[in-house]
Amino acid sequence: MLKYSIAALALAACPATVSAEGFPERPINLVVPFNAGGGTDLLLRAFAPHMAEALGGNAFVSNMAGGSGTIAAGALAGQKPDGYQLGYWSVTVATVQPQIKDVPYGVDSWTPICSVAASPTVLFTQADSPFQTIEDVVAAVKADPGKYIYGSSGPGAITHLTAVAAFSGLGVIDDMKHLPFQGSGPALQAMAAGTIQFFGDTELLMASGDFRPLVVFNSERLESMPDVPTATEVGISAPLNELYLWGGFFGPAGMDPEITATLSKACEAAMNSDGFQKFAADTSTVLDYRNAADFDAFFRAQYEANSTLIEAAGL
Amino acid sequence: MIQSIPEALSLILTFEGMLVLTLGTMLGIILGALPGIGSTVAVAMILPFTLTMSQAPAILLLLAIYAGSVYGGSISAILINTPGTPQSAATCLDGYPMAQRGEAGKALGWSTIASVCGGLFSAVVLIFAAPQLAAFALNFGPIETFALILLGLTCIVSVSEGSLIKGLIAGFIGIFLSTVGGDPITGEARFTFGQFQLIAGFNLLAVVIGVFALSEVLIRAAALRDGDTPLVDFDGIVLPKLREWKGRIKGLVKSVLIGTGIGILPGTGAATAAFISYAEARRSAPTRDNFGKGEPDGLIASESANNAVTGGALVPTMALGIPGDAITAVMLATLTLHGVTPGIRLMTENPVLMAAIFSGFFVINLMLLPLGMLVSRMAAPILRIKEAYMLVMITLLCTVGVYFVRGIPFDLLVMAGAGILGFTLRRQGYPMAPLVIGMVLGPTLEISLRQGLIITDGSFAAFFVGHPIAAVLVAAAFGILSLPFVRMLKNRKAS
Repeated sequence: MLKYSIAALALAACPATVSAEGFPERPINLVVPFNAGGGTDLLLRAFAPHMAEALGGNAFVSNMAGGSGTIAAGALAGQKPDGYQLGYWSVTVATVQPQIKDVPYGVDSWTPICSVAASPTVLFTQADSPFQTIEDVVAAVKADPGKYIYGSSGPGAITHLTAVAAFSGLGVIDDMKHLPFQGSGPALQAMAAGTIQFFGDTELLMASGDFRPLVVFNSERLESMPDVPTATEVGISAPLNELYLWGGFFGPAGMDPEITATLSKACEAAMNSDGFQKFAADTSTVLDYRNAADFDAFFRAQYEANSTLIEAAGL
Repeated sequence: MIQSIPEALSLILTFEGMLVLTLGTMLGIILGALPGIGSTVAVAMILPFTLTMSQAPAILLLLAIYAGSVYGGSISAILINTPGTPQSAATCLDGYPMAQRGEAGKALGWSTIASVCGGLFSAVVLIFAAPQLAAFALNFGPIETFALILLGLTCIVSVSEGSLIKGLIAGFIGIFLSTVGGDPITGEARFTFGQFQLIAGFNLLAVVIGVFALSEVLIRAAALRDGDTPLVDFDGIVLPKLREWKGRIKGLVKSVLIGTGIGILPGTGAATAAFISYAEARRSAPTRDNFGKGEPDGLIASESANNAVTGGALVPTMALGIPGDAITAVMLATLTLHGVTPGIRLMTENPVLMAAIFSGFFVINLMLLPLGMLVSRMAAPILRIKEAYMLVMITLLCTVGVYFVRGIPFDLLVMAGAGILGFTLRRQGYPMAPLVIGMVLGPTLEISLRQGLIITDGSFAAFFVGHPIAAVLVAAAFGILSLPFVRMLKNRKAS
């Protein structure tokens, strides 16, 4: 009897001591915290086969939508840190939502693996708008407090934070109204109709409609719009002057450093693969690789910096 | 646009093109009929396979899946009272009673023809008037949307068979359930009682499947005596004869218009369209007293409207490059992946591709008829299983379907809870349709009302000044709400 018990114990103990050697032994689950078909979902579905190839194993994508990504992050936090379940969290899932909602995860819940994408955000208005520059906007808002409305795809979303960074940084946010929508599509329709005047998102949006960019939240001007000033140039001071929609892979806290390194290297190889590079070029995704250590430092700095933004947004 | 159609047809009428359309439509019908999968998931599942295809076949495959899945949901709604998606929930109301009466084949015949009509009409609208309609839809701001949804909610009154009070109570339960979760304006979590999973609210599909399908299983199980009779008798689709259409054409036209119109508006969808159209038919059809007991007019209303939404939803997507919902967002993403820039210049820059998409969409809707007959024929043998086994199978299908969507066990608890709630309420004579209507329309009602109040600085009266569309819609809503009371007063006077 005792013999059996010991054998059983030994068997049970086996999976707990995850060996870095031979990793991965089974398929890796890449969790998308949003619905199938969205931007993040597409990115991961294009990424998964190259990740699998780089690891010499298998990788599959699963969707766990809800609560602006917090349902998936809440489910993954506290799971066994064996490297077989990784979440792709964006700036909002990882650094904003845990500071505005009561969610079962925080800054210390993760082992950051690698960052994949980062696009600077841009504040837009409609192309036929009377505002040519951000200075025009500030003057108009001051002349007519309470008249102008900025939209967003939802409270706490990157679209919301972009507008907050702009108008709070310029000191006019209290003279404006915020109108959240359920997703970017309805918000952009409202801007075309004139219900809202301003909307912030990544430069990707420029291609899809008649918009006029007013200010970019990047350290320098963007190649695609050389005439548009940076936030610093128009007088928006740190930490509100730079804002990126970034995303990367996270595992639960406490992962084996060797497995983290293996995954991080595989992530880099997958990002450099021809197939994924072509996907990024086709979708104008700005790739931005950071290894595990750099990503960890970046993520923690962003968590801090965004608390200022959250306070300014009144969330 | 129209002058590009001949060239576009040469893209579609190829072996590859027709193969894609046939297989896509058929697969869409099957995926739509399985509870839980629904249009968005079906389209997203197929997306990776389109990456190696050329532009036109890729997007046509997704359109075929989309149109097929919206229709497919009606098959399971009619045969086993399990709406494949919330958008076919209104189809259960008259479809299932018809099936129980032994007229399953006929019910599917009506729903098929109605779906085809709805889809075809919306395709024609898309081909001829997309830019104009997209521009008009921009007049619908938050305030107009609020008024429209308010009008939609009055359908609770008309679908409350038996007791108006019980219907209203069920409707309010639905609206209340829809308020659980994140506040749409401030983002704060509401009514979650510290339950983290509720931060995203109750999953609509889990609740719909619970209150319709699971509660039906419980009711049947409670009444189960002799297990030899099959649940419904079905040998294949029986198409309605031409003379049976007498008196129903007007309702069909109205429903198709409602569906297309609602499809064009942002932030609404097929479920909303089906319920509003059903309620309108129930208010105005000559056969209104038979609604809820298996009346073909009810089926026509919901099925023609939800299929008409498909074409309508493509109007702003293609004309403005702005997707109105998750499915059309996937379509635009597919175009992007194939090197086409979606946006306001989409139609002018790619006339042939757009013409191919629109005419392909027309062909897809034509194919729904033969393919729908084929697929539901395949379902017939399954339905001959003994009732007890059938109930087990339905339960299993619901469980897998609900779990499949997000992979969250909590959703299964929600489904079970909704099933028990539905069973209890139905036994007390509470209708379930108002509950689902409340849950479907509740979120849009709330966000549009609160957006409107932000715009008007908190003045509800300002909703009607300078918003004539909203004023008319709200007046209509109050008119419909007061109807039962007017009738009651009249009856009292008469007696």
